[in-house]
Formats: sequence, C-alpha cells, structure tokens
Amino acid sequence: MASKYDVLIVGGGPAGFAAAIFAARRNLKTLLLAKSLGGQITRSFGVENYPGFLKIPGTELMMKVSEQAEKNGAEIKYEEVMEITKKGHDFEVKTKENKYSSQTVILAYGKTPRDLGIKGEEKYAGLGVFYCSTCDMPIMRNKTIAVIGGGSDAVDAATFGAGICKKVYLIYKGEELAADLPAIERLKKMPYKEEDTKKLKNHKKLERKARNVEILLKHWPVEVKGDKFVKSLVIQEVDSKKTREIPLDGVFVEIGFIVKTEMVSKLVKLDKFKQVITDKMCRTSRPGIFAAGDITDLEVKQAVASAGEGCKAALAAYLYIQEKSGKKIRLEPDWA
Amino acid sequence: MAKSVAIYTTPTCVYCRMAKEFFKKNNVKYKEIDVSSDDRAVQEMVEKSGQMGVPVITVDKEVIVGFNESKLRKALGLKG
Repeated sequence: MASKYDVLIVGGGPAGFAAAIFAARRNLKTLLLAKSLGGQITRSFGVENYPGFLKIPGTELMMKVSEQAEKNGAEIKYEEVMEITKKGHDFEVKTKENKYSSQTVILAYGKTPRDLGIKGEEKYAGLGVFYCSTCDMPIMRNKTIAVIGGGSDAVDAATFGAGICKKVYLIYKGEELAADLPAIERLKKMPYKEEDTKKLKNHKKLERKARNVEILLKHWPVEVKGDKFVKSLVIQEVDSKKTREIPLDGVFVEIGFIVKTEMVSKLVKLDKFKQVITDKMCRTSRPGIFAAGDITDLEVKQAVASAGEGCKAALAAYLYIQEKSGKKIRLEPDWA
Repeated sequence: MAKSVAIYTTPTCVYCRMAKEFFKKNNVKYKEIDVSSDDRAVQEMVEKSGQMGVPVITVDKEVIVGFNESKLRKALGLKG
C-alpha cells in the first residue's frame, strides 16, 4: 500500500526545499522527492545574488537548505518521479522504486539540462562529454577541454577550467557572449595568482588570468570523435560552414535548460512554452496540485524568486487541506 | 561482515556530497579517493567503471556510477 502524505513535493531545488520547509512547519506530513539535490543552482561555482550570501557555491547553498528542511521535519528521498495520477481524492506518485499517495502535490522540478544533439555526443557521455562542470572538470586537470555555450554558466565553467586545464576553448554560436558582465569580467580580467593546482578546495585559488582560454564565437560543434574516450571535437563556423577538428580530452555542455512537463501535461494546463500555468498562490488548473519555480510561467527565473514561490505553494497547499476538511481559516504567519 | 566501501570524488561535485551525506546518515564507513589531484586514481576509477564521471562508488566488488540511493541501499543491505 502506498504511503500517505499531506504534501508531496517533486523537485530538489530552491522552490522544492522552500516548499518543504514551509509545509513541514505547518505540521503537514511532507515528502520531497528529487532525482538529485539542488538542480540548476548546483552548477554555479559561486551564487552572488541570493540574499544573505555575498558569494556561495550552489552546492553549498542547497546543502544548507536541505538540512533546514529535514530539521523542520520534512522527509527527503532521492528518487526520480516517473508518473503522477489522480486517485480518488488523493494523488498517486510513482518513482522507479516506490509508490506514494498524497493529498496534495507541489511540482517544483525546474528544468533539465539541454543536450547538443550532435553525432558522438551520446556515445561519449561520461567518456569525455560532461554535463556537470562542477562535478567533473577537476578530472580534466592539465588537459585540453571545450566548454560549449555562451551564457553565464558556460563562462563560469570556462573560468573554472582556466585555473585547472592546460587549454580551454569556449565555443558559442552567437556574435557575442550572452553571459552577464561580472561573469565575462571574471574570465577575461582575473588577477593572476600563483596556485597549487593539486589543491582545489578553495575556489578563490582557481582564479588566474585567463591566458589559456580561446573564445571561438560564431562556431558550433557538429561531432564528437574519439576511440574509447573523446579525442577531438569537430566545430563549424556559422556563416561559412567551414569545419575544423580540435584535438581535446573533454567537452563540457553548458547550453541551458528546457522544461520537461510531458509527465503532467494531462493533469494541469501548460502555456505555449510548456510551462505550468499558476495563479498568484501557485495553484494550477487542477485542485490539489500546485507548482513553483522555473517549471511555472513565472517570468523571473532566479533562485530567490523560486524559493518565494515554494513558500507560497506550501501555504496554498495548507489552505487547501484545511478547506477540504471543512475548516475555514486565515493564513497567519508561522512566526507570530 | 562489514562491506568495503570506497567513493571516487572531486571537491566540487554535488552528487559526491550527497553520497557522503548518505553514508554519514547511515553510519557507513568508507574510503574517499579524491581524483582531482591524482592521475593514478582517475585511471583506477576509469578501469573500474568504464567512464570518467564522478562519483563512482564501490561496495565490495560492485561498482555504482553516480549517486543512486536505492542501488546503494540494496548494495549495502540497508532498509528503506
């Protein structure tokens, strides 16, 4: 028989964990299910715009948030949700391993990393093609790599690589990098510091003048080649279509994220971008299902905004549960 | 008899941290091998797992790539 919860949250990023904190603090039996901890924010080497922290690695921020959720009484399990269905008055949520039942569901699973869709990419995934620069770039110490993308994540990954690798190619199809100015400045104008490349514990030690970075604008990869592991990358110039093959050891894909809402497309209404439509209190078109963060049609895609939405979604779920049991209550702050 | 557990990690890997938190919560003793500063360890990890991503976790002779809580529970004989 499936376990019964009051609130089941799908997603382990800022929205999901904020929802977990607020739901648990209302004495709601709360379960958070996530494929992994943290989501998109863990790909950031240094988050500088989350209130309360001048600069903090994304992973560290999310470790603190998950600890806070557990200390407030939320249950956390790292399982990937495969299906959500309505069963009578409740919802049934299936993962690969288990089945859970809950009065309410909060969708907070954000976005999924986009892949390149080029020849050789799938073959060499984990064999030189990587999607987590924070995890895997240290393995490329003293080697040659390419970072694909032009946003802040890609530029920060190239900066990280500049401190570790022999050479970094930053490859982007646009005429200019799309990253924010602080990220670009970090890459191009960092102070040079002597560093021991064997010690990677402190991110500040990784900053060095980026003389080993080559930025290739108006280029895009077309094929990953190698033997047992990646050996080279074929790139194409956008206008002339001329190709060239770059010998290298690793390819880091940092080209943004997409919303994957196929799992819930029959349960809730989506907008033209396939994002979940919500009202001001994070209610979806399906009573009992709420949504928060980057998976929704909220225009602002920032961690602190997602956390705020997670709070609202949890409180909306609380109100829904009270009303379902015939209680008419007002939402009072939990600190009053 | 207690199982022999090892984890190949890098300092900035979130999944490695999740795995170590899991070990701590479940009182699992393990050996950590930081591959970011040890080429021989990278080679060893690649030979065992057939790939370069971290974390790679070994429980006796079983090799688990990535942090997969249910696979780990099964390999360690933990309930949940």
